[in-house]
Amino acid sequence: MMDFRENSFMLALGLTVVAFILAQSAAFLIRAVKRGNQIGLSKSVMKNTVIQSVLFTVTPALAIVATIIALTPALGIILPWIRLSVIGNITQETAAASAAVEAASNGAASLSVPITDEKTFATVMWVMTLASSLPLVILPLCLKRIQHGMNKAIGKSGDSKLTDTLAVAAFIGLIAAFIARALAGKGTGIQAADGTVTYNYDGAGLMSVATLVISVVIMLILSKTAEKRNIKWLQNFAMPISMFAAMGFAVLLSQILPEAIAHFEFRAPIIS
Amino acid sequence: MKTEKNYIDRTHTFGSVWSLAVLLVLIAVPLSFCINYNVWPTLKEIGSGLLPVAVLFYPTAIIEVIAYSPLLGAGGMYLSFTTGNISNLKLPCALAAMDTAKVKSNSEEGEVITTIAVATSAIVTTIIIAVFVLAFRPFIPRLTDPSSILSPAFKQVMPALFGALGASYFSKHWKISVAPILILTVIVIISGGIGTGVLIPIGVVISLAGAFAMYKLKLI
Repeated sequence: MMDFRENSFMLALGLTVVAFILAQSAAFLIRAVKRGNQIGLSKSVMKNTVIQSVLFTVTPALAIVATIIALTPALGIILPWIRLSVIGNITQETAAASAAVEAASNGAASLSVPITDEKTFATVMWVMTLASSLPLVILPLCLKRIQHGMNKAIGKSGDSKLTDTLAVAAFIGLIAAFIARALAGKGTGIQAADGTVTYNYDGAGLMSVATLVISVVIMLILSKTAEKRNIKWLQNFAMPISMFAAMGFAVLLSQILPEAIAHFEFRAPIIS
Repeated sequence: MKTEKNYIDRTHTFGSVWSLAVLLVLIAVPLSFCINYNVWPTLKEIGSGLLPVAVLFYPTAIIEVIAYSPLLGAGGMYLSFTTGNISNLKLPCALAAMDTAKVKSNSEEGEVITTIAVATSAIVTTIIIAVFVLAFRPFIPRLTDPSSILSPAFKQVMPALFGALGASYFSKHWKISVAPILILTVIVIISGGIGTGVLIPIGVVISLAGAFAMYKLKLI
């Protein structure tokens, strides 16, 4: 009998969810493009937004595929696929699946062992779904009020330079969180039952800092060149080019540096 | 101004309907499984798995809704919170798109551009994941395996992505950037395992406070 985690029934569930998500995204995209045309946004600006977003998305999306694979030993491929396609992110889904497996098996099972019992699997499905669904309830109830309140506060200030500065500052705060992690964050590792530790080499270290610096430097060079020589296409694609170049540099560094140096991290990883 | 209000209002209605529809579809997945196999976990079993995760993730979800709200606009918010992977995918796409298109986040142009960026990113992600899961599953572990030549590239996606994005913002607004980067780095040094989901709202608040103070002191 075929594995219930990956049979045609589960596949049909997965395809239904994915079709629904694609329909929603397409509906929002078409609506926004129509509005863009109405308010006079140029077609080339909207086209470039699409192309740049595609380029920016490819590699992180592949990284998401890799995280789906990490959840497959216990859950099969379809459930992680559904969960990582809708709302989910790897930290949340792994934590939810892990807590659910442990609760359903009274601590006897873990995410590294295949689930063979339908009821345990159903428990995991419910926990993963309910753990991530809260925003879908909050947004219809609160988002309009939150954004209306913010706009009102901005309107009251009557100072457009201040509001522009604060909007930029909010972005910078967000980006700074990722920069700080690349500069000083601890990596992770997993300890197997026999005590062997597998390191993920995802903490701050030589590689993360070098990749970050190279990405910044290439971006600055490309954007200055594009601006000075008025190269339109380079202005639009300087960011994705810098990202791919920095990742290529990371691959190159890992090939030419001794392993101990390439894997060097500033701090001891967190082992779970 | 009137049409702008109407468009944003209509976006909220449109987004709310879609959010509730997605919620129903999501709940239908475990429900269909239970009906098909006639297995019914008890509320206690679901609750004991959900509780430790909900305690951590429900407050984070509320903070994320508030923190991302001014950055993603209305359309971008509804779509981002449905398709997920916000901080590592949807936000960078939206930020890069606004920066390149030279539009402000609090304008209607910004609203349209962020929605286009987030929708494109969501479609591409969903297709890539589906294609790779269905067709290329055997090859993925080989690509991302620690022994693969491409493995370091996958490990360094975030520094590469946010380096490129940050360079543009930091070079134009370096005075605002210094304080959040320094303070957040110190926070990460003190608490190395702090999650990005917690770090982002802290960063946004520090950056806003710093920018506001500098503006009032006429330093920017």
